[in-house]
Amino acid sequence: MIKRLLILVVLLGMSGPFFLSSVQAATLKPVEGKVAAPALTLKDLNGKTHDLKDYRGQVVLVQFWATYCGPCRQEMPSMNKMKAKMGDVPFKILAVDMGETEAEVKQFVSEVKPEFTILMDEDGQSIGDWKVFAAPSNFIVGPEGNIRYTLFGGVEWDSDELIEKIKAVGKK
Amino acid sequence: MMNIKTALLSLILLVLTTAVQTNVQAKEIKVIETDEADIEVRVFPAEGNVLLLGFPCDEGKSIAEEKTANSLADDGIEVWMPDMLSGFMLPKVRSSLADISTDTLTAIIDAAVKTGKKVYLVASGPDTELILRAASHWEASNEETLAGAILMFPRLFKETPVPGKMPEYVDAVGKTRLPIVLLEGGRTPNRWGINTLSNELQKSGSTVTAKVIPNVRGFFFKRQDTNRSEDVVTSQMAGLIKVSLFYL
Repeated sequence: MIKRLLILVVLLGMSGPFFLSSVQAATLKPVEGKVAAPALTLKDLNGKTHDLKDYRGQVVLVQFWATYCGPCRQEMPSMNKMKAKMGDVPFKILAVDMGETEAEVKQFVSEVKPEFTILMDEDGQSIGDWKVFAAPSNFIVGPEGNIRYTLFGGVEWDSDELIEKIKAVGKK
Repeated sequence: MMNIKTALLSLILLVLTTAVQTNVQAKEIKVIETDEADIEVRVFPAEGNVLLLGFPCDEGKSIAEEKTANSLADDGIEVWMPDMLSGFMLPKVRSSLADISTDTLTAIIDAAVKTGKKVYLVASGPDTELILRAASHWEASNEETLAGAILMFPRLFKETPVPGKMPEYVDAVGKTRLPIVLLEGGRTPNRWGINTLSNELQKSGSTVTAKVIPNVRGFFFKRQDTNRSEDVVTSQMAGLIKVSLFYL
């Protein structure tokens, strides 16, 4: 029995660091200094052009995502709830699909039903400009056009903790 | 006397059994003794002058890779698949890679080179770190060079990239001068980092040819939920590797 317990303790000790690293929650990372958001001018699924500059004065969540990205799919319902929870802070979501076809994205939209703006970037120009190497990659852009936070990974965007931090970006 | 139906059934079973055996089993197991560990190598022998040294860190259980190896051997390309994790008694987790000794890796390359064949290295995912590390170490003590390396769906970030920042790669990146073919799936965010990784690999003198395979995700050949494109590419992995060798 003691031998079994010892083995268990050793195994737990060995697996600890991996376990911790695998369950660490994604969180907003503050961006140090003033980092201007790169240009972002893309068309949505209706062909309307959106320019990030036109959303100055609002807090903008710029997300890079893809239909094949599991966490992206999972977190979208919580993104749908963000606008209401942001209260009087002007807020916009621009979700940039990473290089897929319109047909693929439209199929996804019909299933998952995101209620925010989906932008198409079939040639991946903005992905390079924004230095995105993983999905979902998120940027919180302040009303003045600077990147205030970044976040990699799937999260519950309507959690009180995240909403308070994002609201604060709009109030500063 | 056996009736025709039973005979036919027996024949089909015999053919199927033979096919399964030839598809998933190495034709021989070779043990390479090194100072630090005895490494079992699954060998798929072939008459040709090309030897593909693959490093699947899977404790000897890589079914898709074995099928590919058999197919390559049928086409004259010898394949060796050393089982590094078992050799060092390591669990199948990413952090085990750091505990695989570089000297042992180069000892395996030495053994492959001694066959007199042109030696190419191949690995996928995080295991690609092993062949980059081994190649640069081997080059440091050998004037000749290996023939090249195929990095399939390489996962070589030191840490998850922070959005908006250039990624940092593991130390082995940008140390070897081996010619490299880099393969990436079209349906993975990593395809957007293929140029950045190529640039880093070229810093040490490698020529890098990067190809994106459309409609497949990373590690599709290990997935349970494959789509049609992934099934097709998995069945044609040997062809994909042969095309990659053509670029090296």
